Order: sequence, then structure tokens, then C-alpha cells
Amino acid sequence: MAQPVVQTIHRDPALFWWILLPITVVMILTGILRHYAMTLLQTAPKKQTLAQLRQQRSLVRGITLRTNANVLSPSSFQSRKAYMVQAYQEGKFLADPEARGKPRPNPMSDPAAMEGMMGMMKGNFAMMVPQTLIMGWINAFFSGFVIMKLPFPLTPQFKSMLQSGVGTRDLDVRWVSSLSWYFLTLFGLQPVYNFILGSNNSANQVTQQMAQMNPGAGMMGPEQDPDKLFLNEAENLEVMEHRWILDGVEDRLLAKYGL
Amino acid sequence: MTEEERQLAINPIVQSSVQHNTQVISNIRNLTASLFGVAAGTLGLESYPGFIFYLLGTLIVSVLLFMFRAEGQPSKYFHRPMSDLWLGEVFGGLSGFVLTWTLFYGLVRA
Repeated sequence: MAQPVVQTIHRDPALFWWILLPITVVMILTGILRHYAMTLLQTAPKKQTLAQLRQQRSLVRGITLRTNANVLSPSSFQSRKAYMVQAYQEGKFLADPEARGKPRPNPMSDPAAMEGMMGMMKGNFAMMVPQTLIMGWINAFFSGFVIMKLPFPLTPQFKSMLQSGVGTRDLDVRWVSSLSWYFLTLFGLQPVYNFILGSNNSANQVTQQMAQMNPGAGMMGPEQDPDKLFLNEAENLEVMEHRWILDGVEDRLLAKYGL
Repeated sequence: MTEEERQLAINPIVQSSVQHNTQVISNIRNLTASLFGVAAGTLGLESYPGFIFYLLGTLIVSVLLFMFRAEGQPSKYFHRPMSDLWLGEVFGGLSGFVLTWTLFYGLVRA
């Protein structure tokens, strides 16, 4: 069997100046715009009452005590643990002591939960709108002809997506239209954003979608019963094994210096 | 408490330093991956040779990182030197590589 004929297409060099470059510049500018839009859309955390703040921070205090227990001497850890466990079990830190043991209200009716959902909606919105606009722009202006050849082969399944509007049956899949350059920039521009905007930018929708898979795991959501969280933390403190970091420090020191 | 946890408690790992080191590695990887894409596109590499070129390039970058950034003692800077320095972020730069590879291949060759 003969070697398949290598298809060559002569293209106008002006394609680079009028298609590749504009798409790239628009993608970079959209990323920067999205970053600043997300920064501006972020709502400041709502001001909480003193009791709510105390409830939240005292739970964090218990967790901090548990993670850093190693640096405390046994006696000081025991006294802290005794105080925290007792206070947790009595519900001393609860913002609303009367609501203890009652079922929680429906999260849909809670305004704080609605606020969180609105924030997520805004994030999705800021991602969807530019994506749709740019894809529409590319389809309207630059569809119907191939502009470049990919340096690696693809399976024929990609033909309909990457050669949209070309409509030649036998053309190699490696010849692609401008929409595929859009996809390449969509995935490949993250380093460019990193260098322009710093590492914690919110310019790329792909990374954002990945981050949204587990939103705020371990945070104290408004729908959780604080009393249950406190009792849970009290139990964690009760069962934890405490080991002082300075146990046997003399032996370690002597071993380290070989005496 | 296991022996490893005890060691970590005695010599704790500072999270912000770990993040900084990972960031440095990731920046170097992204930048070099894009430059490798420029080189591969200009050389006109196609399909497998291009990807092998990328892997070889990242290997060279790993050696340079080991010699100059970690000063030959990666355990001083990384908790797990194998996965953080030698293999860390190898595929994170791939999309940038493909982008510049395609661009320069399209400009120079095809």
C-alpha cells in the first residue's frame, strides 16, 4: 500500500495577523477582565453579631487546641481540655441558647444561605457570558475555513468539532479551523495569567470549575446545627491522645550531639 | 502516634514555605514548557517526537532545578523530593507547551 498523500494547503500569511493574533489578544484580555470582575463582584463578609462570632470562634479554638496540643505540657493541656469540654457540653458559647435541641429551619428560607448561593451564581455568570460571547464571535467571523495544522494527529471523532463549517469529507483532521485555536488558548493561557496577574488569580474558568467541585469543605455552614458541632468537638477532645513534644527531649538532644 | 507523626511534630513543616516552593517550581515549569513549545514548533517536530522532546526537556529542567535551586539537597526544601521536585508539575506545563508548539509549527512549517 502506498503512503498516504500528505495534504498541503497554501494559506495566506495574513491569516496570522487577522485571526490568530486577534483571538489570542481577546482571550488574554478577557481573562484579565474576568479576574478584575470577580475581584469586584466579591461581596464582603456580612457583619455578624457578637454572639454569633463567639460561637464560631470558640469552635475554631477547640480545633486549634486539638491540632496544637503537642506543644502544651500535660497539665496545661488537661486544664484547657476540661474547660473546653465542659463549656461545649453546657452550650456556653451558643449564640442562641434557647434554640438548643430544636430542629433547624429550612436552609432555603435562611437569608445567609441565599447570599452564598447568589455568590456562586455570580461566579458562574462571569464564566458563562464571556465564553458564550467569544465562541459566538469566532463562529460568526472566522468559521468555514482552516487556518492551521496541528503538529500531532487526532482521531476522526474530533473532525466535526475542530473543522466545524469546513465540510470536506477527506481533509485530514490535523487541519483545523479557528475554533480549535480558541480551545487551545482556553486551556493553555493559565501560565500567561499567572505571570500577568499573580498566582492567585481568578482569570481561567477551567481552574475555577475544578475549584468549585468541593466548595468550602469543612466550613461551618449556616445549615449545620452548632450545638451538634460543639458536642462533636467535645468528643474529639475527650478521646484524643496527648503527647508532649518535650517528652524525652534530653535524650534526643544528647543523641543529636553524640554525647 | 506513629513515628512519622512524631518526627513531624518535632520538625514541623511550615505550610507557607511549602506553597512558596511549589509556586517557584510551577512558575519555572510553565515558563520552560512554553519555551520548549517554541523550540519544538520551530524544529518542526510532529506527534510523538514532539512529546518526547517535551519529556526530555522537563527532565533537563528537573536536573537544573536539583543542581541550582535545591543546591543538591532536595530534602532540605521538599518533604517528598521525588514527587515534588522531579515529577512535580510535569503535566501542568503540557497545555502551555501544546499551545506554543501549535502556534510556531503553524507559523514556521505548515
